[in-house]
Amino acid sequence: MKETSKHIKDWKLADNIKTGFTIPENYFTDIEDDFSSKLIEDKLPKHNGFQITKAYFENVENNIIEKTIHKKGKLINFKTRKIKLISVAASIALLLFFGSNFIYNTNTELSSEEIISWLDMNVNSFSNDDIPITLTELNFNDTNPYDIINSEVILESLLNSNDEDFIVENIETY
Amino acid sequence: MIDEISLVKELQNVQTKQKAFRVLISEYKERLYWHIRKIVISHDDADDVLQNTFIKVFRGIDRFKHDSKLYSWMYRIATNESITFINKRARERNIDISEIKQELVTNLPSDAWFSGNDIQIILQEAVARLPNKQQLVFNMKYFDHLKYQEISEILGTSVGGLKASYFQAVKKIENYIKTKHN
Repeated sequence: MKETSKHIKDWKLADNIKTGFTIPENYFTDIEDDFSSKLIEDKLPKHNGFQITKAYFENVENNIIEKTIHKKGKLINFKTRKIKLISVAASIALLLFFGSNFIYNTNTELSSEEIISWLDMNVNSFSNDDIPITLTELNFNDTNPYDIINSEVILESLLNSNDEDFIVENIETY
Repeated sequence: MIDEISLVKELQNVQTKQKAFRVLISEYKERLYWHIRKIVISHDDADDVLQNTFIKVFRGIDRFKHDSKLYSWMYRIATNESITFINKRARERNIDISEIKQELVTNLPSDAWFSGNDIQIILQEAVARLPNKQQLVFNMKYFDHLKYQEISEILGTSVGGLKASYFQAVKKIENYIKTKHN
């Protein structure tokens, strides 16, 4: 047995020297497993039995393209979303401001109906979804709502202005 | 066969991205679909996962740096998406992943999009019982005819390790089929 191993070793060495060919590491140990695998494979079915409709691959291409275009469209609307976000944030800040005054200052002459009506008249409309979205995006731990808009003059100008750039410019300075 | 490097360049250019993306889908949709289908089993689920895979490719192509081949990168995304999908399903149902895999295969005979015979069902049952890695290696080698080197690039496992996994998988499948026949 020892002699056979030595013979193989010598033969391999000699072959290497002669031809320059090399083999992957563990090739001769793996080949037995590969051979066994092949024998088993021959007995297994070649197809898995899964089917699809003929038109599926044509339709899926269009579906995917449609989805990517849709995503792109959303990106274009970023500025509009930002403006909307600012108006909702401003509304919440106002709500908190008036709300706290209403609760803690008993001398106030503003009723809750008046606040709601003022908001209806002066603030851009926003959907039911906007408030939870804005609340999620705002970090109240880091942000004092009074720091966002801290001048009554600017606040009034912002709410009266229809110029989006003016709003963005002023909000960003605070 | 399209030139991968120029396709990636076009995909990373805003002006040509949409057009190149259509070429990409056209080139890889079938290969990726069948890879996904063998993991998630049902056609509807495979459809969802395939679309998510391409959306992720579309969003992530700008970050593709040619560290691997494009198809390896896409296969990797498809594999991850498929496994994530199965895991999510298992979590939703509060059952083990192996259980959900068995369940999916059990439903095969009543699946309108499966035309396999008894031996094909038994083969799918045997594959579903394999650990994740062995299952992937078996599917990629046996059904997709990928080379070990290609599978190695996709799964990030050495060729030696893959050969061992494949051998183990084939032996287990053979044993399962034998048990079912006896």
